[in-house]
Amino acid sequence: MEEKNKSIGKAITRIDGLLKVTGKATYATDYPAKNMAYAVLFKSTIASGQITAIDSAAAEKSPGVLKVITHKNTPKLNIKGGLRGGALLQGSEIHFYGQHIGIVVAETFEQATHAARLVQVSYEEKAGKIDFDELAKDAVKPKGQELADQIRGDAKKALGEAAVKVEETYETPIEHHHPMEPHSTIAVWEGENVILYNGSQIINGAQSSAAATLNLKPENVRIVSPYIGGGFGSKGGQWANLVLTAVAAKVTGRPVKLALTRQQMFNSVGLRQRNIQKVSLGATKEGKLISISHETTTHSAIDSEYIEPCGDCTKIMYDAPNSLISYRVVPMNVILPTYTRGPGKSTGSFALESAMDELAHKLGIDPIELRIKNEPEKDPSNGKPWSSRKTVQCLQEGAKAFGWEKRNAIPGQTKAGNYLIGYGVACGTYPARQRDSSAIIKLKRSGSQVTATIELAASDLGTGTNTILAQVAADGLDLPIGNITVNIGDSDLPPAAGSVGSVGAASFANAVNDACIKITNELIAKSDKQFFVRPTARQMMISEQTLDFQTRADAKAPSNTDQYSTHSFNANFAEVKVNIATGMVKVTRFLAATGAGKILNPKTARSQIIGGNIWGIGMALSEESIIDPRYGNFATRSFGDYHVPSNLDVGKLDAMFINEEDFIPNKLGIKGIGEVGIVGVAAAIANAVFNATGKRIRSLPITPDKLL
Amino acid sequence: MNENKTKLTEEEKKLFGDLMPEELDEIISSGLNRRHFMKLMGLASAGLLASHLIGAEQLFARSAEIGDIADLAPAAIENGINVSFKVNNTAKKVLIDSRATLLDTLRERLDLTGSKKGCDHGQCGACTVIVDGKRVLSCLTLAATCEGKSVITIEGLAKDNELNPMQAAFLKHDGFQCGFCTPGQICSAVALMKEAKEGQASFVTADVRQNQQSVILSDEEIAERMSGNICRCGAYPNIVAAIKEAQTGKNVEQTWLFAG
Amino acid sequence: MRPFKFTNTSNASSAINLLIKNPNAKFLAGGTNLLDLMKEDVERPDELIDLGRLDLTAVRPLVTGNNVVGISIGGLGKNTDAANHPLIRKDYPLLTKAILAGASAQIRNMATNGGNLLQRTRCSYFYDIAMPCNKRLPGTGCSAMQGINRMHAIFGWSDSCIAVYPSDMAVALSALNASVKVMQPSGTARIIAIHDFHRLPGNHPEKDNNLDHGELITAIEIPKNKFAANSAYIKVRDRNSYAFALVSVAAGLELAGGKIISASIAMGGVAHKPWRATHAENILRGKMATVENFQMAADAEMEDARPLAHNKFKIGMGKKTIVYALEQAFKGTGYKA
Repeated sequence: MEEKNKSIGKAITRIDGLLKVTGKATYATDYPAKNMAYAVLFKSTIASGQITAIDSAAAEKSPGVLKVITHKNTPKLNIKGGLRGGALLQGSEIHFYGQHIGIVVAETFEQATHAARLVQVSYEEKAGKIDFDELAKDAVKPKGQELADQIRGDAKKALGEAAVKVEETYETPIEHHHPMEPHSTIAVWEGENVILYNGSQIINGAQSSAAATLNLKPENVRIVSPYIGGGFGSKGGQWANLVLTAVAAKVTGRPVKLALTRQQMFNSVGLRQRNIQKVSLGATKEGKLISISHETTTHSAIDSEYIEPCGDCTKIMYDAPNSLISYRVVPMNVILPTYTRGPGKSTGSFALESAMDELAHKLGIDPIELRIKNEPEKDPSNGKPWSSRKTVQCLQEGAKAFGWEKRNAIPGQTKAGNYLIGYGVACGTYPARQRDSSAIIKLKRSGSQVTATIELAASDLGTGTNTILAQVAADGLDLPIGNITVNIGDSDLPPAAGSVGSVGAASFANAVNDACIKITNELIAKSDKQFFVRPTARQMMISEQTLDFQTRADAKAPSNTDQYSTHSFNANFAEVKVNIATGMVKVTRFLAATGAGKILNPKTARSQIIGGNIWGIGMALSEESIIDPRYGNFATRSFGDYHVPSNLDVGKLDAMFINEEDFIPNKLGIKGIGEVGIVGVAAAIANAVFNATGKRIRSLPITPDKLL
Repeated sequence: MNENKTKLTEEEKKLFGDLMPEELDEIISSGLNRRHFMKLMGLASAGLLASHLIGAEQLFARSAEIGDIADLAPAAIENGINVSFKVNNTAKKVLIDSRATLLDTLRERLDLTGSKKGCDHGQCGACTVIVDGKRVLSCLTLAATCEGKSVITIEGLAKDNELNPMQAAFLKHDGFQCGFCTPGQICSAVALMKEAKEGQASFVTADVRQNQQSVILSDEEIAERMSGNICRCGAYPNIVAAIKEAQTGKNVEQTWLFAG
Repeated sequence: MRPFKFTNTSNASSAINLLIKNPNAKFLAGGTNLLDLMKEDVERPDELIDLGRLDLTAVRPLVTGNNVVGISIGGLGKNTDAANHPLIRKDYPLLTKAILAGASAQIRNMATNGGNLLQRTRCSYFYDIAMPCNKRLPGTGCSAMQGINRMHAIFGWSDSCIAVYPSDMAVALSALNASVKVMQPSGTARIIAIHDFHRLPGNHPEKDNNLDHGELITAIEIPKNKFAANSAYIKVRDRNSYAFALVSVAAGLELAGGKIISASIAMGGVAHKPWRATHAENILRGKMATVENFQMAADAEMEDARPLAHNKFKIGMGKKTIVYALEQAFKGTGYKA
C-alpha cells in the first residue's frame, strides 16, 4: 500500500458531479458560438453500388439553406487519415446502407432537417453482401496476423478421446453502443486552425486523425472534449461526422453544429459484429479439461477489417494441454464493426462460459468447482507467470456473499408463484495495461494555501477520470482534494492515452503520480534544507515560499511488465426469475466479484462495474440489431426497436472487489475496470436461465419467445 | 546527513505538524509510523459532499437571469410564432419557427443546454422537463404549444444557493456516470415525488384499485416509474437509491464489498 | 419536419371548421406520436390545429336518467389522469393497468386518450420513408411481408399490410366494450363502437380507423361491467418496461362462484386493431373457471392465426398469455402487481 495514502481508495464523490446534476457540464453541442449554422447528414438508401445523380435543387432553394455538400463539391480529404468507417463524401461509390452521402447546412436545425429530406438521389445498385446467414459459409481467414489460428497440441484429437464433451454453437447478434449522447460536433474555424468540440475517448487520436484527414498539421486542430456523453468504444476511433462538420464550417464560413440523429447512429459509428462461435470442450470424467476450441465466424466491412477477438478469454481462462482458437470472416456491406465494451471478451465469454456450464451439468459437478479444477498456474497461451490472478477468490468469496449454496443444481425445480428462479455463474477477464501518457502539474501558493492544476489530454466519459486524478494528485502533493483542479479533455494539453481498452485509469493516474513524484523531487532539490522525512510538495511550496512551480512527466509502463501476463479477473453471479407464462426474464440479483488491482475510488469503481453488468444484462436479454437481408438496412432503427435495458430491467446489483496488490502492470497497481464489468455477465445470466428453466439458450438475446 | 542543510525552523515544524500534530518530534527523527498512517486515513475520509466539487462557486454565483434572446435572421423563421412563457420562473418571449420543439428552443435559443437530445423521438427521456408541474418530453413538445405555461428545466431546480434535494441525492449516490441523461433523470425524479404524493399508480403498484393519498415507493416502483429515462452507463441502482433517499429523507447506505 | 402553419383555437367546433377547410391539416393533441412521425417525414401536414386549450378532459360517470351506466373519459384528457381517476381505478382497473403498461410516465402525461386511439403502427418499415409501405404510400408494397416481421400480425392481415396496432389502452377498451364518441363537422355526435373504430388493413391499410377528416374524438364511453375485481392486463415484451407488446391480453371474467357468466378477452400486438377473442369468449361462457377450460379457449382462439416467417412464436405466446390473464383475472390478482 502507498505510504501516504489518504485520498486514493476513498469513496470520493465525483468532482465533476455538481456540474452534472445542475446541467452545467458542457458536452459537444452545448457550446455557444456566434452565428452558428446547423448541419444535417443524409444517407444512402442502398447497400452497394454507385450514386448516379443527386438532385439538390429543391433543398438549395429551401428557406435558410446555406449549402448542400455532396461528393461533387466536398474538398479533397485524405481517406487514409485514420478515421474509421469511410463515408467521407469523396466519391460516388456506396459501400453500405446508410453511408453518409451529403450534408445540408442551414440557418436553423429545423431548416436543415427539412431540406435534407428534399434531396433526390439516384443510384445504380449492385448486389450487396448483406445476408450473413448465407455468407458465413464462405468465411475466410482474417488478414490480421493477431487473428491467425492459435494452436497448442491437437485439440481435435484430444476432443475425440475425451470422456465428456461439449460441442455447441453460440450466437450473438449485432449490437450498437448507443451512448446517450449521439456523436456530435461543433466546428469553429479561426484562420487555418479549427476547433472541434467533439466527444472523444482518445483526445490525441481524434486530433491526429481529424488533422490528417483534413490535410492539416495536428497543431492546426484542437479537440475540446471535457465531457463525453458516453462512448463505450464508439467514440474511441473517430468517424466521418467529425471531419464533415469541419468541412461544412469551412465551406460556409460559419461555426457549424452537426449531431447524428439516433436513427443515424445505427450506421455511422460502428457496431459490435455478429458472431457465430463454436466451442468444443473435452474433459476427463473428473472434470479436467484436455481440449478447448473456440472457432469464431464473423463479418467485417466490405473494404476494411475489424474483428473483435472472441477467443481471447478462451486463450487464458483454463488449463488444457490442447487448444485451438480461430477466426473466419466475411466482408459485408455494413458499417465497419468497432471496439464495443469488452470487445471480444464479452461475447466470447458468453460462448466459453456457457459451454463450461454445459460441461459442469454433464459431469454433475458444481460449475464453480469445475472452474477451480481447471485453474491455470500460468498463462496457458504463452507460459508467462500471472502478475496476479484472483479467479478462485472471486469465485469463492463471490459464492459466499451471493448465497450460491442455496442453488438447486437440478434445473427447473425452484418455483415461486408464477416464476421459476435460477442461479448462474460465469467468469471473465480483461487485460491490464498502461499506455504512454504525459502530465503537467502546476503548483501555486497564496499564503499557506497551495493549489495544484493537473493538465493532460485525458478523457472522462463517465468513468470518473477527473475524480481519480484529483485523488492521485491530492495524495501525491499532500493537498486536500478541493485544492486540485483537473484539466483534461483538450488536445492542447500534454498528450495522453485514451479511455479505451481499460487503459485510461492506469495510464492517466500513473502519469499524474509520476508528475507528483517529479515535482516533489524538484522542489526538494532546489531547497537547501535537510529532511529526515521526505517532505511533501505542499510543505516545500510553503517552506520555500515558492509562488509558482510546475513540471511535466512523461510516464511509461514499467519495463518488466511484458514478462508477465497481466489481467483483471472476475466471477459473476446471477439470480433470475422467469415468468412461466410469458417467458419474460428479470435479473433480480447480480454480484460481480472482481480482482482488478488497486481500486482508486470504490464509489466510482462500483458504478463502473454495475454499469458493465447492466450492459451485460442488455446483451443477455434484449439488445439486438437486425439487418434486413434484402436491403442491408437495419430493421431495428430507433430506440423503440433497439432495447437497451430500462431501469425496471435491473434488480439488486452488488460489486465486490477482491483485494489485490499487483504493481507489475504499473506503479500504482491499477488494472482498470471499464471492460471487465461486462465480461462473463451474459453467460452468468444465460446459465441462470438454464438453471431456472432447464432451457439452454445459445443465441442471444434471450427474449421471451425463446423461452416458450 | 548533510550539515549544510539547515534544520527546520519552529514555524516550519508547525507547518509540517499540521498533518501530524502529536508525534512531530518522533516523525522528524524516525519517519512516518504506522500509527500516523492510520490517523491520516481517518482524517481523509471525512466530508462526503465537500468543496472538492468543480463548479461549486460558479454555480451559485451565476445569475439566474439569462441574457437577451438573440433574434434569428429573418430567413431563419418560417411560420413564425411569438411565444410567451415562463422558464425557470423567468418570463420569456421568443419568436420561433412553428416547427421548433421546446427542447430545441431551450437549447438553441434560450441558452439552456442542460436538457439533452438523446433521441429526439420520445424514446429515451434525456429531454425531460417539468411543464406546469408535470414531467414531459421536450423533444415531442412544440414550443408553440407552451404559450402561457411554466417550464422548469434542470437549470431551475437549485434555489437560494441550495441544490434541490434530488440533485444532492444523485450526487451522493453517484446516480450517473457520463451525466448526459442526468438532467432528464433528475427532472423526472423531482416530478415523480409529486406524483407519489398525489397517490398515482404505476404498472407495478401492488393494487391499483386501492387509492392512496401518498405513496412511499418501493425500489421496484421507483424503477418502473423511472423507466422512461434511459441511462446507457447503467446508473439505475444508484438512481433508485438517490430517489429513495430523497423521498424518505433517510440515509440510504451505499454499499460495495471488499474481500480476499 | 416540413413547414406547417400552427393554428390555435379554444373550442371544438372552430377546431373542426379549421380542419375541414384544409385537407392537409391535422389536429395536434399530445403530439407524442404525430411529432415523432413528422420528424420521420411520415406525416406531412401543412397545418396543425392545436387542441391544447379545448376543454374535453373530464372523467365523469355516464348517467341515464338516475342510473350510472358507465363512465365517460374526455377525449383530450391525459392518459395519466384517466389511469389515476379514482372511479376508473376502482371500477375499471383493467383500463388503469393497460394505460400504465404503455410508454413512460412522461409520455402518459402528454398523450391524450383520443390521441392514444389514433396512434399509428410502430412497424419500422412504415417509419422508414426509404422503404416501400402500403400504409404510408399506398401501392408501393409491404416491406414487412417478406422482411423482418417478428413484431407483426398473426390475425386479420392482408396482402397489403401486416402491421399491428400498438396501443395498450385500446386493448382494454376493447375488452370493456367501450365506444368512441366523436363530434362531426355538422356538430352532431357520432358514437362508434370500439370494435368498429379501428380497421383491418384489407386493401386500404392507409386507413387505420373509421374516423373521417373533420371528426374529433370528444370522449370514450365505457359501459358498466361486472368484472372489475376479476380483470387482468398482461403484456409480454422484450424488456420489462417502456417497450411495445409482443402480445398482450386484456381479460375480464364475470363469475358466479366458480362458473363463468361471461368472459371478455382482447389481444394486443397480434393484429391491425385490438383483437377481440370472441372464440375464446364463446367457449368460456357458462363453463367452470378451470385451467383446462382456459386452455381450451386459448387454443380455439389461436386456431385462426396465420403467422409470418418470424412470428410463429406469437401463437404459443398468445395461448399462454390468454391462459395466464384468465388465471390472474379469476384469482382476482389481475390488477395487482
